Amino acid sequence: MSNSPLSKSIKTLLTGLIPAVALASAVSCAGTSGEQDKKSESEDTPKITGVGTPIKESQLAKWDISVFFDGDNLPPGKGTLTEGEEIYQAQCAMCHGEFGESVRGYPKMLGGSMEEYIETAKHNENNVAIRGINNHWGHAPTLWDYIHRAMPFFAPQSLTVDQAYSVTGYVLYLAEVTDGSVEEIDADFIKSVKMPAADLYYTDTRPDVHNKRCMKDCYSGEPEIVAKQIKGNVSVGDVDK
Amino acid sequence: MKKETSSEEVTAANEAPASTTRRRFLGSGLAASAGAVVAGSSAATALATAAESAGDEVLEIPASNKILGRGVVTVPYGLPSKFEADVVRRNVEWLTPDRAASISFTPLQDLHGIITPGGLHFERYHAGAVDIDPATHKLAIHGLVEKPLLLTVEDLRRLPSHTAIHFLECPANGAMEWRGVQMDSVQFTHGMISCSEWTGVKLSTIMEMVGVKPESTWFYAEGADGSALQRSIPLPGAKDQFGKPLPEFDQNEIHKDVMIAYAQNGEALRPENGYPIRLIVPGCEANMSIKYLRRIKFTTKPLVTYQETRHYTDTTDDGRIRQFTLVNEANSVVTFPCPDKHLTTPGYYEIRGLAWTGRGKVAHVDVSTDGGKNWKEAKLVQPVMNKCLTKFTFDWDWDGKEHIIMSRVTDETGYVQPTLKQLREARGLNSLYHKNSIQAWRVLATGEVENVQLPTV
Ligand code: HEC
Repeated sequence: MSNSPLSKSIKTLLTGLIPAVALASAVSCAGTSGEQDKKSESEDTPKITGVGTPIKESQLAKWDISVFFDGDNLPPGKGTLTEGEEIYQAQCAMCHGEFGESVRGYPKMLGGSMEEYIETAKHNENNVAIRGINNHWGHAPTLWDYIHRAMPFFAPQSLTVDQAYSVTGYVLYLAEVTDGSVEEIDADFIKSVKMPAADLYYTDTRPDVHNKRCMKDCYSGEPEIVAKQIKGNVSVGDVDK
Repeated sequence: MKKETSSEEVTAANEAPASTTRRRFLGSGLAASAGAVVAGSSAATALATAAESAGDEVLEIPASNKILGRGVVTVPYGLPSKFEADVVRRNVEWLTPDRAASISFTPLQDLHGIITPGGLHFERYHAGAVDIDPATHKLAIHGLVEKPLLLTVEDLRRLPSHTAIHFLECPANGAMEWRGVQMDSVQFTHGMISCSEWTGVKLSTIMEMVGVKPESTWFYAEGADGSALQRSIPLPGAKDQFGKPLPEFDQNEIHKDVMIAYAQNGEALRPENGYPIRLIVPGCEANMSIKYLRRIKFTTKPLVTYQETRHYTDTTDDGRIRQFTLVNEANSVVTFPCPDKHLTTPGYYEIRGLAWTGRGKVAHVDVSTDGGKNWKEAKLVQPVMNKCLTKFTFDWDWDGKEHIIMSRVTDETGYVQPTLKQLREARGLNSLYHKNSIQAWRVLATGEVENVQLPTV
């Protein structure tokens, strides 16, 4: 097949000389990666062979850095609270605040106390802004995993394993989850930390709302109607994210 | 004069789809009366304009009839008309501290079908969009499998392909409205949803190729961007970190539609949407549809990642936190009229909107024009597809008076979209995510439309 069967047949088609079927076949010949019609599954459908390269788990050592909630796959290594403080103040504080209080709207390390969080939730007071590591994380190994893979924001995956232990230990201390009495931070220490919110989590129970498909006279009287207080597309102030 | 105009047109056209001639033409009162009333202009002006044009004026031949237009490939990759310059993704500056960990919204008010054009698909980043060369990108499939594999993008394109139209919805869609009315715009109340035709390889094909071991009850997917985003996805037998089984639907249904996509609406994925490959987990919160996909690992337990503990978990008013709320429950919204698209003169209007459900297909959509006292069934525009946006229409004769317009979807499982009151009663005001309550728009006598809530019914 020549290099330009497609443009050639379009030319022919445009002058009205060849039917659309011919164009369709020209298109697939031209290799425009058109989808093949799905053949129905049958006995003689060929098995998929020869696609992809077999790989050993060991080849994925640098990629497989995911740590499970229970600390599975935490790598060997250790850090210290002292080094954690240095790293945090140099590479994290500009966004998360010297004391973990947040700067310019970046996430807090230290949120409201667990009690404050639960009470506000129960009384429907806005508690979005007080969420932090001490009240909205289930497992400390998750924190290690996240810092190691995604922080500092401007240079993800630049921390060494030891540095990740150091700074995770320090963040747990800043967030008042730990009391700072343990200087050496390693996998065993991270696994031993119980997050304050650990027992608050429960798996999906939806559908939790059961509306009915009412069509006529679904309520009586005049409903309360709440409109926006401030005109324009966006209001300001205390806002849920 | 005529000659000048036409050469000016052609010159301008060669640079970009710009034409001063057309702008002058459309600026005339005649064009405005033809219905080109833009959002924001008051209905009063619109009515006046309509009245003026009802004279005996003989219509002039449009200037565009008298010029030579642009040649082929003046714009090698076609762009929307310059008159559609308002149809863009928008973000809300105060919502996030950094655009690289932020969201933009799809302009639902300007879309007419169920497909979201690639350039208007909402964006959500946790470390910005990246450009990845498909020639070097690799996807590892490993863990509890007989034969771990490394696949290139070319490998994936060789495999049996799967094409399906599915919506992706951020679980934070509507989040800003839990406590009260904040956004006078359907783009901001509901624009964290988009819908595309995705083409790629079904996860089941890949699972067969690598020989997933029967003890696998979860897999997780990870991205190749700076956030290296990772999410756990249940398989049959999935239990949470406390040993409690996930809901039946989550265990048995979610994974069946999962695919690895390389194409979106017939062309390669857009960088904003995960080029060169991404996971698509239809019906579930879009955060699970990992972009820039580079690794899938089969396991016996969930990771419980940052995104599965700190975010995308729902605070309920018993002081607890609901997790693995994966499915996007049925939701709908009227996209015309809406705060972004006002009415002009009384008379006929087609009310239009979108409905969807993460649990399968939309079964019915009902529309109310009296604040939810009475409802009538809307027409569903075919096709109605699995975990896909469904368009609905409803004929309406506007009497020029104030009305409150709402839509309510029922899905094929019988689930009926809840009212805001029901949702708040069940979850409280701190839940943030998965707000799928009935949306109300108030049409004023002026034709303006505003966002309202009816918290008591
Ligand atoms: C340039 C600003 C910036 C810097 C510097 C930075 N972060 Fe972050 N951090 C962010 C942003 C943005 C997020 C939220 C990301 C998202 O939304 O996905 C975040 C999230 C976090 C979180 C999750 C908090 C929560 O509860 O949501 C932790 C923990 C964290 N960062 C730790 C660190 C550590 C440790 C460092 C230093 C090694 C660091 N960050 C440096 C911007 C920054």
